Amino acid sequence: MDEWKKTITRRRFLKTAAAGAALSLIGKPHFSEAKDDYDLVVISGEPVAATKKALEAMGGISRFVKKGQRVILKPNMSFSNPPERGSTTHPLVVVTVAQACIEAGAQQVLVLDHTLQRAELCLERTGIREACKQIKGAHVLAIQDKKFFREVKVPKGKVLERVEVVKEILEGHVLINLPVAKSHSATGVSLGLKGLMGLILDRESFHSQYNINQAIADLATVIKPQLTILDATRALASGGPGGPGDVKKLNLIIAGIDPVAVDSYGVSIVPWYGQNFKGRQVEHLLVASQRGLGKIDIDQLRILKEKA
Amino acid sequence: MSTRMRTFIQALSLLLFSVLFVFAAYGLPDWLPADIYLRLDPLLGLNAILAAREFIGRALWSLLLLGATLVIGRFFCAYVCPMGASIDFLDVLFFRKKTRPGPKTGASLREVKYVVLILFISAALTGLSLVFFMDPISFLTRVYTFVLYPLSVTVINLFLDLLRPVFQALGWINISHLHVVQPVFYMSAITLLIFGGIIALNRLAPRFWCRYLCPLGAFLSLVSPLGLFKRRVNDDCNECLKCQRNCPMGAIPEDPRKTHSPECIQCRTCVKVCPQEAISFPVSLPFAGEYSSVNLSRRGFVYSLAGGLAFGLASSQTPFTPLQSKHQLIRPPGAIPETEFLRTCIRCGECMKSCLTNTLQPCLWESGLAGLWTPRLDLRLAPCEQNCNVCGKVCPTQAIRSLPLDEKTHAKIGTAVLKKEVCLVWAQNKLCLICDEICPYNAIVFRPVEGYRRPVVVASKCNGCGFCEQRCPVRGESAITVVPNGEIRLKEGSYVKEAKKLQLEFKPDPGDDKFILDESGFKVEGGKKEKESIPPSEQPPPKKPKGFL
Repeated sequence: MDEWKKTITRRRFLKTAAAGAALSLIGKPHFSEAKDDYDLVVISGEPVAATKKALEAMGGISRFVKKGQRVILKPNMSFSNPPERGSTTHPLVVVTVAQACIEAGAQQVLVLDHTLQRAELCLERTGIREACKQIKGAHVLAIQDKKFFREVKVPKGKVLERVEVVKEILEGHVLINLPVAKSHSATGVSLGLKGLMGLILDRESFHSQYNINQAIADLATVIKPQLTILDATRALASGGPGGPGDVKKLNLIIAGIDPVAVDSYGVSIVPWYGQNFKGRQVEHLLVASQRGLGKIDIDQLRILKEKA
Repeated sequence: MSTRMRTFIQALSLLLFSVLFVFAAYGLPDWLPADIYLRLDPLLGLNAILAAREFIGRALWSLLLLGATLVIGRFFCAYVCPMGASIDFLDVLFFRKKTRPGPKTGASLREVKYVVLILFISAALTGLSLVFFMDPISFLTRVYTFVLYPLSVTVINLFLDLLRPVFQALGWINISHLHVVQPVFYMSAITLLIFGGIIALNRLAPRFWCRYLCPLGAFLSLVSPLGLFKRRVNDDCNECLKCQRNCPMGAIPEDPRKTHSPECIQCRTCVKVCPQEAISFPVSLPFAGEYSSVNLSRRGFVYSLAGGLAFGLASSQTPFTPLQSKHQLIRPPGAIPETEFLRTCIRCGECMKSCLTNTLQPCLWESGLAGLWTPRLDLRLAPCEQNCNVCGKVCPTQAIRSLPLDEKTHAKIGTAVLKKEVCLVWAQNKLCLICDEICPYNAIVFRPVEGYRRPVVVASKCNGCGFCEQRCPVRGESAITVVPNGEIRLKEGSYVKEAKKLQLEFKPDPGDDKFILDESGFKVEGGKKEKESIPPSEQPPPKKPKGFL
């Protein structure tokens, strides 16, 4: 961890230097005023540097997290697989965001997911608990028992009438979604919107009872993350959601407020199962955009692409 | 040694037993023998060796206890035995002030434990493992596993729930989200009833179980008269008989100067209660002084021997015996071949306690008398976790072999079979993929059949872990169930080699999804042998993976 901190410091220094250089060259630092300029930021680089840069480019974490607020980070840690497998969010991405939230004055940061596999194994093997150990105020929780969920109505639901969600997201916490980019054998891809299924109790009914694509869109009408940071440092291009599959090292972090836009861009970054797709071709994204939950056509988006 | 000291040692031993019990779980370090109490039990070791007719390495530990008993006497019952300690402590709790109607000497009752011992040992000679019924260490481990462990978790969760508002107010995030997964077992109630019965017998006489019933006590009593420490009463004795009344084992006969030395557990209660201070336990040479024989008549010996042999032989002549080779049960990974397994397993329940997912459950009558309380997997309840190998680690007789993870992965426990008439995809054309999503070995692939992509099991990649069976959303019986077919049961040797020989591959490796985009839909790498099992599709297969438009 010490080593990691050093890396941060060095990178921070380099970045500041780079920012200064950019400032002198362009005369106008785009990320300091980037707030409303861009729908998406796409940063390439190593997990820590790219994540930090993406946060800055989004206008800084303080745009989303105010002093004293409580924050929920929702990474994907559903599988008890190591990060190389590509089925879970990279621990360094999670830890970087958690650190930023604390630095912005967050009272506490809950890193949580309703894990698909045995909770303690997921915490152990994804590396996320270990990575977050050093950050005071950050707590990594794998939530499985019914008592930690509460039922909410889904007024705009087409197939879902009500759904049991993790209590905390109803208690005024800031929600930041930290999905990993991966293929999914039922929904094509599993990115931000599909990842929200990690905040509900009964996932099985999505598969067995409902049309899963409609249900995901329904869920997105009640769970609205303030920010989505898609970890595409690796993408599990086949064999998802649990892997093993074809892990492509993309070194990308994609951040945005519009969950559909982030996901739609995420579809375009890599061939899934060896074939190129657009966001429109992913049914649950198309359904979500038709419901007005976000923009799906990425060629109409303002996108900042940079290297960290 | 004072009585208080003895109580302290007893408490310590019970604590150690309990701590080791808690440690028998996923993450057990290799160097820690969590099953040490079971290994130390010479009766369990002897029983397994006789029944299986195999040498069992871990049973060698029991020589320690046997040796110590030879030298010291039957101290184990008074100081070490966790069952004895439980009985003593619960006795204090329930029956301290009760007058007990129990027999004072009870020579004939005392014979029962020898009858039991000989019965079990002779049954073991016929290959029937029965001693677990009454061996105190095996039994207490079962009580802990099936009763105490689930109960403690319930109580812990109750407290966590009660205190949760407090934790939340204090901002203790982790503990306020803590919930211990509740273990559940079949046969908890039966086990509790038997244990309750044993404790209730104390109402009749203290340590009723130890005096009259315990086969391990009987076994140890056979070697204990050779021990160095002997009770001696000097001439100050005024025959007040206080020692006789207080002896928890009823080891002091009418003449208080004498001792039933096989019954004496050297607790030294008599030393403490004697008003004349006439009693001591000096070191004396074996056979020096009196040697009282065990309370077993020749008739009792012959009857119990014959009874055990007859019982064992009769119980091996049931349909269950020929069915052992076609058994229906999924046994733990690394379990030795079924017949040997039934003979070697001592039903302590340690594997079921340690099981990470709680899938290991005790059998009732599924494989007859010979299979009572043996572990089987209930895969509808929970799967076998691929990163866990703890059941073999804690098995005191190695009826489940202790295997490194890689070996354990290759110890195939069965094969998943898909029931098309129940499966949501096959029968109802629904979009369900849970079995495929959860399978750690990519053993389930989707193939286009009749215009839909439908799940198929690749038997050579399935090691029977049961994630599919557990997760299948079909109500009631799963649409995909693991059957013992194809299981690998080895008494010795490498499972990896055996699996290779059988051309099985349990490596979680990618590649099987490729066919999805294939025009033909059937080009699976190295998958020629699967071809015949696939019904030809009548409609052109969909070209896009599921979820894409």
